[in-house]
Amino acid sequence: MMVPVGTVLGLSAVLFGIGAFGFLARRNIILMLVSVEVMLNAVNLSLAGFSRHLEDPRGQVLALFVIAVAAAEVGVGLGLVIALNRNKPGAGVTDLTELKW
Amino acid sequence: MLTATFYYMAAASVASALLAVTGKNPVHSMLWVLALFLHVAGIFLLLGAEFLAAVQVIVYAGAILIFYLFVVMLLDLPDEEARSRFGNHWPLAAGVGLSFAALAWLARVVTLDAARAGGGAPARERMAVGGPALGSLSEIGMALFGPFALPFELASVMLLAAIIGAVVLARKRAARS
Repeated sequence: MMVPVGTVLGLSAVLFGIGAFGFLARRNIILMLVSVEVMLNAVNLSLAGFSRHLEDPRGQVLALFVIAVAAAEVGVGLGLVIALNRNKPGAGVTDLTELKW
Repeated sequence: MLTATFYYMAAASVASALLAVTGKNPVHSMLWVLALFLHVAGIFLLLGAEFLAAVQVIVYAGAILIFYLFVVMLLDLPDEEARSRFGNHWPLAAGVGLSFAALAWLARVVTLDAARAGGGAPARERMAVGGPALGSLSEIGMALFGPFALPFELASVMLLAAIIGAVVLARKRAARS
């Protein structure tokens, strides 16, 4: 018996939607970054599902690259958060309007 | 049995993702995301991607999430108590999220229909040759160091750049005259 690939893709779609909603709606900058992680995880899930369905290991290799990019993104993103908090203590995302014209 | 396990994993991951995105306390959100990552690792196991499941647990649940937790505890973000949790435009954001999910669902339906219509025979003959099982470490390793050698090296360069960038960004600015 096999896990149905359509259900995996549907689950991936739902998780991606949840992540997109969180990224757009939250005001806490760290939780916005976490929502990006949820979206990346959804993509990994669909890659693994396709890899199983097509019986091709390239999907899993691609998912590994996605994980590497996620690790890099976390490092730079949290470095930015720390720098932001040092320059403007207590600033939320709604206070950062320097680039607004 | 396997199907029931899969549906449990799917339901638990959706529930924990929802709780993580809507939670009030950031630390609780992180713990829900941990639950999400572990359940996704379980789904990877069910899909036969053992190495991916191990990497998911080690890198995501082990390294990335702990990093997030450290920063949450270090910064003591103030805007969670004083202000509303969501921006004023959250219904719009919910609409965008729903349409993303609907679009991905549509793509899945179209792809599966096309696969069914076109015979969609997966490359089963490759398995008959007697190669290593799908998702085994040796096959992924051969792919990584064979056709994917250049992206693999580029990923290491990218990680190095990210390390240097994070250090430069988070470093205390030296008081130079």
